[in-house]
Amino acid sequence: MQEVKLTVSFDDYENGIRMENLIRELAANPEAGTLESLVIGDWGQAYESSPDEFMNVLIELAPSFRSLKKLFIGDMGFEECEVSWIIQTDLTPLLKAFPELKSFTVKGSSGLSLEPLQHAKLEELVIICGGLPQEVLSSITNAQLPELRKLELYLGVDDYGFDGSLEDVLPLLEQGRFPKLVYLGLKDSEIQDDIAKAVAQAPIVDQLEVLDLSQGTLSDEGAEALLASDKIKKLKHLDLSYHYMTDEMLIRWKRSGLSVDVSDQQQSDEDDWRYPSLTE
Amino acid sequence: MSGVTANQTDQRRQPQSQSNERHIERPFWLIGNPDNRRTKGLQQARLECGLSPAKVIPYADVLKTWRQGGSLADVVNPGLQRKATAEVAPLIRMDAPGEQWDVERELLSLGAKDGDPNTESLSRESFTAEEALELRQDWGRIYAPAQWFNGWKGCLKRIGREAGELWPSARFLNDPEDIATMFDKRKCQQHLSAHRVDVPPVLQSPEQILSYSELRAAMQASGMYRVFVKLACGSAASGVVAYQINPRTGAEIAVTTVGMAVVKGRPIFYNEGRMQRYTRNEEIKTLLDWLCAEGAQIERWMAKASYGSRVFDIRQLVAGGHAGHAIVRLSQTPITNLHLRNERMLPEEAGVDGYRLGLVQTAAQTAMAAFPNSWSAGIDVMLSGGDNPRTYVLDVNPFGDLLYHVQHNGLGTYEWEMDILRKEPYEHA
Repeated sequence: MQEVKLTVSFDDYENGIRMENLIRELAANPEAGTLESLVIGDWGQAYESSPDEFMNVLIELAPSFRSLKKLFIGDMGFEECEVSWIIQTDLTPLLKAFPELKSFTVKGSSGLSLEPLQHAKLEELVIICGGLPQEVLSSITNAQLPELRKLELYLGVDDYGFDGSLEDVLPLLEQGRFPKLVYLGLKDSEIQDDIAKAVAQAPIVDQLEVLDLSQGTLSDEGAEALLASDKIKKLKHLDLSYHYMTDEMLIRWKRSGLSVDVSDQQQSDEDDWRYPSLTE
Repeated sequence: MSGVTANQTDQRRQPQSQSNERHIERPFWLIGNPDNRRTKGLQQARLECGLSPAKVIPYADVLKTWRQGGSLADVVNPGLQRKATAEVAPLIRMDAPGEQWDVERELLSLGAKDGDPNTESLSRESFTAEEALELRQDWGRIYAPAQWFNGWKGCLKRIGREAGELWPSARFLNDPEDIATMFDKRKCQQHLSAHRVDVPPVLQSPEQILSYSELRAAMQASGMYRVFVKLACGSAASGVVAYQINPRTGAEIAVTTVGMAVVKGRPIFYNEGRMQRYTRNEEIKTLLDWLCAEGAQIERWMAKASYGSRVFDIRQLVAGGHAGHAIVRLSQTPITNLHLRNERMLPEEAGVDGYRLGLVQTAAQTAMAAFPNSWSAGIDVMLSGGDNPRTYVLDVNPFGDLLYHVQHNGLGTYEWEMDILRKEPYEHA
């Protein structure tokens, strides 16, 4: 088995089915031992109940999923639960229960904790949310993830939980923190220009293949800094999709000869206000 | 006619040898707005199918004639009256009255409750019959929806009655009373539910909820925190709000195409081309106070099946009992309607397999069967997500056949419908 997604639909929930039941059922399947990727979707009323309702079962049955490499907690759409309303929890015990995991994705940051964040084999960490709390950001900057190759963070807006500032992001740009990191995504931010300016000259870019500053409020201001940087020119790919850059700037990117995604151009609203993509 | 070869067209124009006795073609009357996309599309389809053109009876003329004391007989020319015998009973298609300002004004005027203080709640917007006729169009504004619907129902009823009296042998493709029921989102869902069609659960007694505070209380009491509040008489996406409360934090979000402005100290409401997202309590209260006072259907907002990051439902056309054209309507928001520049796809393009499409077709046909006196409608059906999808009928649109760039058996929607009529002449009670 490659990948399984477990979702408790509205009808299922009304009929008393819980995520815990689905996990037990899956673990009892003779093919559970070959499952590589497990996606936990809507666990039902995710704006009220956290993964605590099923996490212990998943931890208890972890040995049944001995081939599991990828785990996604909270893959749900806006019709199931607004991303900023998804209740997460301290997921540290879950990571500990799967020492062979290579990829871990979390959607929703309300109540999320990953302290301490340590994993000997994790190569990929993705957190999708409307606003990443400073506390979680701090756990990530202090993390022990020696194998980490891809880090993708939705920083978001303060209305949805981003209570940090550029100062809290800067430690991620130091070299040597994640020696094997080649993909860095600092995206969906309301301070995307500041981040772009900081990243443009950051030592970490030297080790990266891909820099992903997409989904945020990037404008010509941040773009100027990126274009002016020799470090950026050495990247294999730059993702700037969903942005507020002008047509003139897009032409300059085209002429730069870099591999850059500048699709999905946005217009500021009437009050000249710019919104990141995932602000619901 | 793209996708249809000349050869097929010729075949379709051949008289059918088995049905020689039916070769007297029934006159076809179309009550609609002349020269709009619907009327032109239908006339073109009749031409393609080798049928004579429909006689168009404009709503504007009908409504004006009534106001001046006349009847349908004064609008329809005398020659047609004579032809309306039992042998060649006319078939009457009523089409959408919308998108024409003089018709809108007439309907508002017809729906006015002049000098009858007991009928309307005070919080509703209203105009006298005379005021309504003087209204100048403010583009996109939603004028007194409950009054408009009152006028529209009056129009349907009177057309049904006068046609029955003047031309007893005439038949309506869609029964005017059915059209009124389909248009009333509350009545329609109750009617479908009574005919064992699955529809989203309704918040208890929505007809008693006349304000935002009553809505909040009812949602709390039932634990239904995500609802669609829809103008009971609204067409398409007009006046539809996806509203949710976070029971833990008290946060609330209303997503809708309704825009608001304040004019002379009073809020006015209009249709926005873009989706609006309200999170401030004062705004949400203004919006929902208005919607509830005008009469709202309030039903559970259920998670629709998704395709990538978008959710979808399906507009399934049914005519003469057959399931025809199907269009998947995708959206990044909870509102999927076709008018919102949302992307449309064919079912197979959006990964809707034969099994799921079969469920949708069955649901749409069952919904249509709940209206035995009506011949065609565009039925909006949602599939729930997960491995065991269920279908829910969201809306029955009696004018839901205006669908572009989609074919069924090589025919566009109007052509397909006219082709069925040609092969299976319609006879209902």
